[in-house]
Amino acid sequence: MPLLGSFCLLFSLALALYCFVAGIISLVRRSPASARLGETARRAGLASFIAVSGSAFALVWAALNNDFSLAYIHAHTNRALPIAYKISALWSGQEGSLLFWAWLLAGYGFVLRWRHKVDQRLTAFSSVVLAGIQIFFLMLVNFSANPFGIMDRVAADGNGLNPLLQYPEMVIHPPMLYLGYVGLSVPFAFALGALIMKYPGEKWIHITRRWTMVAWLFLTCGIFLGAHWAYSVLGWGGYWAWDPVENASLLPWLSGTAFLHSVMMQEKRGMMKVWNIWLIFITFLLTIMGDFLTRSGIVASVHAFARSDIGAWFLVMMSVTLAVCVFFFVKNRDHLKSENSLESLVSRESSFMWNNVLLLAACFFVLWGTLFPVLTEWVKGHKITVGLPFFNYINVPIGLALLLLTGIGPLLAWRRTSWSSIRKNFSIPAGLSLLAFIALIAFGVRPWAETPHFSSVSEFLHFTQWLSFANSCALIAIPLATLVATTILLEFIRGGRVLQPKLETNVFGAMLHLTHRNTRRYGGYIAHLGVALIFIGLAGSAWDKENEQPLRVGEKMQIGQYTLVSQDETQDDNSNYTSFAAALEVQKNGKKIGNLYPEIRIFKASQQPDHMVAIRSNFKEDLYVIYAGRDEGEVPVIKAFIKPLVSWLWIGVIVVILGTGVALLPNAAPLKSTVPVPAAVAAQASAFEKQMEPVGASK
Amino acid sequence: MRRLQPRLALALTLCFALPLMMRADVDKAHEDKARYERTGGKMQCMCGCNQMLLKCNHVGCPVSPVMIRDLKVQLNAKTGDEEVLDWFRQNYGVTTVILPASHGFELTAWVVPPVVLALAVVLAGLIVVTWRKRMPQMAAAGDVAVDPKLESLRSRARQETEI
Repeated sequence: MPLLGSFCLLFSLALALYCFVAGIISLVRRSPASARLGETARRAGLASFIAVSGSAFALVWAALNNDFSLAYIHAHTNRALPIAYKISALWSGQEGSLLFWAWLLAGYGFVLRWRHKVDQRLTAFSSVVLAGIQIFFLMLVNFSANPFGIMDRVAADGNGLNPLLQYPEMVIHPPMLYLGYVGLSVPFAFALGALIMKYPGEKWIHITRRWTMVAWLFLTCGIFLGAHWAYSVLGWGGYWAWDPVENASLLPWLSGTAFLHSVMMQEKRGMMKVWNIWLIFITFLLTIMGDFLTRSGIVASVHAFARSDIGAWFLVMMSVTLAVCVFFFVKNRDHLKSENSLESLVSRESSFMWNNVLLLAACFFVLWGTLFPVLTEWVKGHKITVGLPFFNYINVPIGLALLLLTGIGPLLAWRRTSWSSIRKNFSIPAGLSLLAFIALIAFGVRPWAETPHFSSVSEFLHFTQWLSFANSCALIAIPLATLVATTILLEFIRGGRVLQPKLETNVFGAMLHLTHRNTRRYGGYIAHLGVALIFIGLAGSAWDKENEQPLRVGEKMQIGQYTLVSQDETQDDNSNYTSFAAALEVQKNGKKIGNLYPEIRIFKASQQPDHMVAIRSNFKEDLYVIYAGRDEGEVPVIKAFIKPLVSWLWIGVIVVILGTGVALLPNAAPLKSTVPVPAAVAAQASAFEKQMEPVGASK
Repeated sequence: MRRLQPRLALALTLCFALPLMMRADVDKAHEDKARYERTGGKMQCMCGCNQMLLKCNHVGCPVSPVMIRDLKVQLNAKTGDEEVLDWFRQNYGVTTVILPASHGFELTAWVVPPVVLALAVVLAGLIVVTWRKRMPQMAAAGDVAVDPKLESLRSRARQETEI
């Protein structure tokens, strides 16, 4: 099987090379013979997926059959490992995960090439670009990080999978993340292909947008599954630590989000063509940069793969990609002239522009903070650590500004918005937002309460000393989230009321129909509602509480309104790990409300501990309990947190995913109007509709 | 718009006045705890677990209790947070503090983001100004007189077709 895997890997490289070279020749020479050559290139691209699939299958087969003659299988699995985790060994190490990347890339390429009839010439160009990327990854797995390396001596058992990865979410999280990362290669291929061929019109943007949304959706799922895993497994009570590897996934997500917004300006008004094409290029480059950060060992991270010399490959890839992008941009930039201009600062276009400025600024700040330790090493000769507080100070204000734009943007009209319309649309949301702000203060959210005395102006200006950052952010975030939620709900109600008489249904039925009629717009609104909920969940972290103490059977510990009473201690042993658990009765205000079983597992193969966090969750707060370990007297030490509003974070993510799913659905047919319209007006309306069509729709 | 201004002013005044009206009394113990959490939250445990000092969650860690004890001593001895952080940088190594210093080369970590943001905003503003200067010419070229009756249709079309 390893031999077959190796052969498939080499064969897939040959096929990708053929697809690339023959594809270029067929595109340069325009003749019937070259068209046939182009078709062979396309088929080679299709076949490359089958070949890489064979290779991935061979590796999984080796894992399932405990083939420890393979160094990779020996390093990442063992006999006692459950089957699901043996399969996940495919992406748990450097070499396997690169093979997995190559396989997904070939899979995306397969779909793209299979659907070539959407636009044969554009697909041919995109296929060549994608084949170029495939060649890079296949060269990596063939020559630098081959997962089919053979051991000198076959071991009886393997080292096993990292215990932290032995968690159900970890079986899904990396594939989701990789589907997102790799999926962003497709919009890049389309964009570069369209630029090279000077694609007429904006159809490529329509095709690209769907691919981008799918990839963005996967990336979103992957990022939040990772956050949920960190929350449920790592046992420190948080979900995002601004670790370099976490940041690596956030970078393309931020620029991809910027693209998903600004692309609408190109579709509707023919604006920002240069900006959009560079956003796609940057997003793709950031995925490669993410790979570089994760795999080169340049930054220290608990999530990173082992330090290796593979980083040079990624630097070369980034340089070549950038050079190709710059070359074709300079050559064909005349093709990217805007067809319209910004007419008013108070318009939808303007809000998209500021949204892009903020998203890209956040992207730069994350990159800056991630690479700053490397920079200090170059300049001062030693690495410093840049952690959570720095990223929070820099990025949370940007996040709040984005939340404000999320509330304002959708209510602004294209081209220009009148003051009367602003007043009409914003008075209720702004009023409710102000009410939320006052209510929070009334309920005791007062970030200045710690030190309200300032004896001098300089003391006042040194506000970090007297103003709690987390509380201030929470005090701003919740009213802004209220603003966003209200504007969105009012938009649904307003639209529903317009349709209600025509459909002869209730307002909810009308809202459903409305959503189905313009899935992209209303799906986007739903996603924005999810973002508002996520911010509410994040704001809750300002009011975290924690307590830790050794707990013998029968003893109690108090945290907030909860009392934890130790009922029992248990110990278990199986072939994979030894575990210690505590059975805790949870009481609230003296009344029993349930039981929690925090556990710690010591994995035998690696001797590493892993926490199984016990969480009792409701809409108000999470009671988060970990079995921290055993003290000198072998007494279990229990650590408990109260994490307010965390559930809203996960609910928000589900709503974002739902909204994006809705936005991906095709629109329903519009209602036919039965209102008689004068002929002259109808003619003008028809001319007007033509004017309102997306740019390039008629081309 | 004119009628809106007094209400807006009232709302803003309320926003700023309310916090001052509801000022809480100074609580020294509360202040010390906040300082301990604020400063401790800027350091990581040096045992190799990569966790924040006050969040280090493994029992029997040989490093975090000593660091926490040192933190309490330094907080009592020094008035400024940055002085405390500098003491830890000198005694436990520069990687202890997970926040760049506010002096020397590390200051650039703090300065660059706001400068870049300001430049981005100025650049975006310049682009907008350029666009708006170009706009009258484009509008003059493509201006079509629209029947006033079409206005309602226009707003409806905009409402129903916009993304």
